[in-house]
Amino acid sequence: MTPRNRFRWRVMRVLALCRWLRGGTVRALRLGAAAASSAPPSQVRQRLGPCRAVPCRAVPCHAIRGGNGLSSPVCALLQDSVTVEVLDHLERLALVDFRDAEGVERLREAVRFAERLREVNTEGIEPLDSVLEDRCLYLREDDVTEGNCTAELLKNAREKVEEYFVAPPGNIPLPELEERDTFLKGS
Amino acid sequence: MAARGCGGVWRRALQRGPGGSCSASRPRRAVACNARGGAVPVGQSGLAPWVPVVGLEIHAQITSNSKLFSGSQVQFAAPPNSLVSFFDASLPGTLPVLNRRCVEAAVMTGLALNCTINKKSLFDRKHYFYADLPAGYQITQQRVPIAVNGSLSYSLCIDNKMSQMVTKTVRIKQIQLEQDSGKSLHDDARSQTLVDLNRAGVGLMEVVMEPDMCCGEEAAAAVRELQLILQTLGSSQAIMAEGQLRVDANVSVHHPGEPYGVRTEVKNINSIRFLTKAVDYEIQRQIKELENGGTVVNETRAFDSKLGCTVPMRDKEGKQDYRFMPEPNLPPLILYDAKSLPANVNHQQVVNIDWIHERLPDLPSVKRAKLVELYGILPEHSFTLVNEDGLMEFFEDVVKRTQMKPKKVIGWILSDLLSHLKQHSLTANESPISSFLLADLLNLLENGDISSSAAKQVFEELWKGEGKTPLEIVKEKQLELIQDQEELEQICQAVIDEREKEVMAIKEGNKKVINKLIGLVRKATRGRANPLLVKQILEKKLSE
Amino acid sequence: MLRASLRQISAALKEGQITPTELCQRCLALVRSTQFLNAYITVAEETALKQAEESEKRYQRGQPLGELDGIPIAVKDNFNTAGIETTCASNMLKGYISPYNATVVQKLLDQGAVLLGKTNLDEFAMGSGSTDGVFGPVRNPWSYSRQYKEKSIPRSDSEPENSNWVIAGGSSGGSAAAVSAFTCFAALGSDTGGSTRNPAAHCGVVGLKPTYGLISRHGLIPLVNSMDVPGILTRCVDDAAVVLGITTTYIFVCSMSLFRRLSQSKLNSIYPIYIFLFFSVSCHVSGSLAGHDPKDSTTVQDIFQPFALPTLTDVSKLSIGIPKEYHVPGLSSEILAVWSKAADLFKNAGAKVVEVSLPHTHYSIVCYHVLCTAEVASNMARFDGLEYGHRSDMSKSTESMYAATRREGFSDVVRGRILSGNYFLLKQNYEDYFVKAQKVRRLIANDFVKVFGSGIDILLTPITLSDAIPYVEFIKEDNRTRSTQDDILTQAANMAGLPAVNVPTALSERGLPIGLQFIGRSFQEKQLLTVAKWFEKQVQFPMIQLEEVKKHDDGVLQHQKSASFS
Repeated sequence: MTPRNRFRWRVMRVLALCRWLRGGTVRALRLGAAAASSAPPSQVRQRLGPCRAVPCRAVPCHAIRGGNGLSSPVCALLQDSVTVEVLDHLERLALVDFRDAEGVERLREAVRFAERLREVNTEGIEPLDSVLEDRCLYLREDDVTEGNCTAELLKNAREKVEEYFVAPPGNIPLPELEERDTFLKGS
Repeated sequence: MAARGCGGVWRRALQRGPGGSCSASRPRRAVACNARGGAVPVGQSGLAPWVPVVGLEIHAQITSNSKLFSGSQVQFAAPPNSLVSFFDASLPGTLPVLNRRCVEAAVMTGLALNCTINKKSLFDRKHYFYADLPAGYQITQQRVPIAVNGSLSYSLCIDNKMSQMVTKTVRIKQIQLEQDSGKSLHDDARSQTLVDLNRAGVGLMEVVMEPDMCCGEEAAAAVRELQLILQTLGSSQAIMAEGQLRVDANVSVHHPGEPYGVRTEVKNINSIRFLTKAVDYEIQRQIKELENGGTVVNETRAFDSKLGCTVPMRDKEGKQDYRFMPEPNLPPLILYDAKSLPANVNHQQVVNIDWIHERLPDLPSVKRAKLVELYGILPEHSFTLVNEDGLMEFFEDVVKRTQMKPKKVIGWILSDLLSHLKQHSLTANESPISSFLLADLLNLLENGDISSSAAKQVFEELWKGEGKTPLEIVKEKQLELIQDQEELEQICQAVIDEREKEVMAIKEGNKKVINKLIGLVRKATRGRANPLLVKQILEKKLSE
Repeated sequence: MLRASLRQISAALKEGQITPTELCQRCLALVRSTQFLNAYITVAEETALKQAEESEKRYQRGQPLGELDGIPIAVKDNFNTAGIETTCASNMLKGYISPYNATVVQKLLDQGAVLLGKTNLDEFAMGSGSTDGVFGPVRNPWSYSRQYKEKSIPRSDSEPENSNWVIAGGSSGGSAAAVSAFTCFAALGSDTGGSTRNPAAHCGVVGLKPTYGLISRHGLIPLVNSMDVPGILTRCVDDAAVVLGITTTYIFVCSMSLFRRLSQSKLNSIYPIYIFLFFSVSCHVSGSLAGHDPKDSTTVQDIFQPFALPTLTDVSKLSIGIPKEYHVPGLSSEILAVWSKAADLFKNAGAKVVEVSLPHTHYSIVCYHVLCTAEVASNMARFDGLEYGHRSDMSKSTESMYAATRREGFSDVVRGRILSGNYFLLKQNYEDYFVKAQKVRRLIANDFVKVFGSGIDILLTPITLSDAIPYVEFIKEDNRTRSTQDDILTQAANMAGLPAVNVPTALSERGLPIGLQFIGRSFQEKQLLTVAKWFEKQVQFPMIQLEEVKKHDDGVLQHQKSASFS
């Protein structure tokens, strides 16, 4: 396969994957792949040909990739939940900014992707924090074993006064949206 | 959130300027403390009464050698950033390791407060940015804290009368283990903040009290009782002035039968006295606000001890969302009891609730009951003995060294010693009169060597702390009672001879007049006469 | 010599065929001449040579510390190394010198390993190509192999051959490339969603992700604390076992070296007694601490015995599971074919090969997406410029300084994850996204429990959708989409905390490596690696043929001193 073809194939694969992630809605289009995926690999070797090129042609690109083409009610709802207020709130809480439209789109995409979790029936299932949930927590004896490394710690700080770390004046919230250096301004 | 010491928030509040109307005068006390239960304070307008509701969040620093999740030392004063480990400074890649001692302190405290100890508790991260919170989150116990559903009984007197005490109970919602923050020193002149992380990561127990209180005095009494319990357990030194005990009060008011009003949170309260003031001021302010047609805003306010009022704290403005998340680096904390204790487990890894329970020291309430039983003193006296720093130990030392009955000793302790101590803002341990000296003095009195009025004189001399013994003072001032019967009889005779009118009156049947003669004898002897003996002599002479 | 396995070179050191210093110099020379791979961020030439010298002295005294003494290794640049810059390939940590060693690094050094340098990665290990770090992409050594060159067709005459190079995979691409290009004998990576196994597959090396909780994470700069594990990259399965062996038996070694210090001469002259004492000491110590790092509460407190990997001759008692859900759309026919062939291999050797179902696999990436971004949002909160790392000049207020620092220090990818994670953790979203994802995580983990409970010993799956693709094509997708695709086959093992290993299996049509994954039961590394070793022997994966290596390996041993090229 030439690199160029390869790229085309790759894009198609991504699309297929996206649809696969989206679950049931495109099941009909998966045809051979659907059948193949349920069989162990040792039995499907002969069907490999179509597998590669299978799924994607029928679906318009923007339906999967862009934000605007989405028409499902869930997505519409979702777009509503990511309001400018929410974006502003996030910038203030996280103390990082969206930088540009792409940044905002990245969040929308991330939220949209996460929506797929709703498909899973988790009734009666307890959340899993850690695979070590059944092991008891290690306890340390109350001994002084650390500290006295002020110089070592301060070495990596860009600003210090005597033995203190230095911050600019505190308790001044970030300026309001309109006065802040943010992409969200004016939106 | 870790309550900050006065170093941080305090100045912040001042720095951010006065937000509220703040009169320098003390608030009018419209809120009658409803210690009697159910009594409802009267509002300014005299229309519907108001019910104040007070809940408390108390942060107690755990007494331990090392911090909650790291091996750096816990110490009140040390050079800046000298008690900081790599974890405390949130260096990337460092992980928390829980201190067993802190767990035990929390379990002890939970048991003392009648809590249910959770056999499995969890740690969470609470996110917010602050210069003295290096990781950008605090590790706390939000979902499943170590202890829940407890209660605390406390007593307070009604209308400042010691004789009328009531006992109340406040429910303890939960006790959670969490990290303290560092300290920010705001250098306004150079417009910078200096950050010292020595306190960052010190273990805290946050005790959450349900809104079962209704005035400053109740809140203060509850906090005092908690403080005593912590000190008795040794789980915290709980010295408010050193920031080891920090109290935030949630205050709201509503009309009876209506839902609770909007609450405010009052911070920066660094003594029990200020707690009373801050809560009462805030109740009063809210009532005034509402009665003037205003509204109470859900906000954080700081108590200004100089002005005696609360002012809004600007830094909590805006929507805060702590984005709680399970702390992934700490698996569940499992505690055991005798039943659940696994057979072959490393003892250093086990915290046994039953074992701790069996070893709890006597709590203040038990101590009081024992004092009443052992010494036959009044319950309210036992209350004072236990509540005043070191006073109980002082009392017991004196009782041990004197023949005087404890019931009599308590009078000297409470009315003489304590009032002097209070006058000079001293604790019993700082008293210029040691328990030895007081016992000596009381022995002189008990033996009839001196009169009680002489004893008071000696007490005053002793208070000066000049290193003299009571006996030396008695000798020096010639305060000993006149033991010589003849001498006394002569003095009595002289009085009788001088006071014909009174003698006549007595002989005519007015027996009370004899007291006047007794007084004259005492005056003549400068209090050195035993009144009983004088009375006997006078009666004998007058009947002759 | 450089193409030898770790165990072979260790034997050569012992026999004096080469000295640690010579070996170190040769590796450094190769590092220099393969600089174009961009596998290393920092080369610690000076300290490496010093460590080699120390090692040499030990060999001269006849007292090497063990199999790793004098062995040049590399460490991913998200492990803290005292005195050597630790950057996470981020502007945020450029120039950051940690005051401490990660536990795993310390253990390697204590065993006499020679740390050549720190390897390249995606910024904060967020990626699957090793293309998204501030120091530029890692190039897959196979791009320059004879195998690839012979089969790849230049895109057109006008395009230089140079643009054909393929990605190394990620995020531990630097470590995989470093091992693959023979610059070191073993490297540490980290594995959160496949970050060790994926580049191992693309670079044709063994990549082991141990069970969560087996190896200390202390000093590993976290991506997702509940899934991160230090990974091991080596040329063969046996080598991975050697490195794992030492990483899990630290305490034994400690007690051993302590004993040696106490009564050196005696112990050395009476070897059997030495062994006896070693075991008595280890038995004594293992009761309380073995296998556990007191600095990492998520390392389990069980006792782990070091193991020698047996050579399996009979696989007939094995039950190999083939999870049907791993046959995902987009899986290349080549990989599928290799996978089938591998299944047949086991079947023909008498093993039971069973199709199994892990029904929630579909959701592992979306589940991972939510849990990962949420933890990233939390873990990255500490980078504010105050105590360490990049600090903006903005000084209006603490908040504005933090915001500016984080804007300047983090790439779009990192900031994107922080923002998404914060969104999922918002009070109003927490239940719907974060808790929901945690529930799905349990379902995914339970799938494995059921399968292993049904008698399956090992799962055999593909590890990548295709062989490595050229960089120019890779970067056409955004980071999240790429990670989503690439983690799809590796990531469920992290959800469940299970051990998994990539074994290089075959070359693709284009002459690039294809690897397969074995997933084992929790803490059953021995069984997992035993099976992997058997498989490795059957497939006889070809060695990479690199011009540069040939040159250095056959050339003079002379070392030229030069500054490190970090």
